[in-house]
Amino acid sequence: MNTFELIITTPDGHVFRDQVQCLSLRGADGDLAVMAGHVPLMTSVKPGEIIIQSGEDSIRVGAVQGGLLSVAKDAVTLLAADFSWKE
Amino acid sequence: MGANTKALKSRIRSVDSTLHLTRAMGLVASSKMRRANEAMRNGRDFAQSFGNVIDLLASCPETATSSYMVKREGDRTRLIVIAGDRGLAGGYNANIFRLVDTLSYEKVYPIGKRACDRFKAAFASSEKYTFAQASELARQLCADYIAGEYDRLGIVSTKYVSMMTQEAEVTWVLPITPPENQEKSVVVFEPDEQTVLQDAVPDYVAGMIMRAIRESFASEVAARRMAMDSAGKNAQTMIDDLQLKYNRARQGAITQEITEIVAGSGS
Repeated sequence: MNTFELIITTPDGHVFRDQVQCLSLRGADGDLAVMAGHVPLMTSVKPGEIIIQSGEDSIRVGAVQGGLLSVAKDAVTLLAADFSWKE
Repeated sequence: MGANTKALKSRIRSVDSTLHLTRAMGLVASSKMRRANEAMRNGRDFAQSFGNVIDLLASCPETATSSYMVKREGDRTRLIVIAGDRGLAGGYNANIFRLVDTLSYEKVYPIGKRACDRFKAAFASSEKYTFAQASELARQLCADYIAGEYDRLGIVSTKYVSMMTQEAEVTWVLPITPPENQEKSVVVFEPDEQTVLQDAVPDYVAGMIMRAIRESFASEVAARRMAMDSAGKNAQTMIDDLQLKYNRARQGAITQEITEIVAGSGS
């Protein structure tokens, strides 16, 4: 499965930077998922869960209070004032 | 052993205690340096990423009419002034205030004890400022800006160039100026450019404030280390000088005493 680079940046630096397969979160117009080769997109992110899938059975879940998602050709950046992992 | 040697001795003692003070402050500054640098880098990363996004948004023709973008006629300027909590950092605080004095402004939001004292505002520490505080300030400033209460927002802070050099600078945050030659890219905006920009600006401003505070703090620590280094060196030369003078005075007194005794026994 194709992967893309996901960077999650908070005021405390990059909290996540790795190749992932799929990212799901709640955008301004509703839930959305980003996979490799997604069209360039920019949306504000609503408070909720961030689901990151980096392999067949490796799924990590985090949460944001809000933020901004920017999907570019080479990388996907999630800018959040506050990000935490759900363990 | 006259009054002269006594005075010299007490001066040596007082310079010596100053030397101890500068040494201790220099050590504290060095140990804070690493953490301050790291925090600065993180803050820069965040502000930079946000800056890129804002640049992209600002270069879209659809956002040109947004109230954050339109340049206003008025000249009501608000400044966020970031200075240190403590002095003894060379020209660090003075440079900031000198720069502020060259600007015309309507209202100042000081951060850091020195700035708060100067502009007579409630105390806000520049060392322990949190993102939540920055966020709150940014939200209030953005709301006021949209309401048309002022026309320009600037941050006066210190730019960290290197360990040796720090420069006071002013960064204009609002209104947002579109980049000069942003390459056009086709990006889908959800729900639309204006809304995304509207949502992003308060966080962007908060990120800018945070970046400025952390960079200023790293500059402050570096400036203090340099200042303490040179103050320590000065104190050491001063002690050496005084010690020499003291020894000479002491020797002089002894020689004189001997001469007096010899002269007395000879008669």
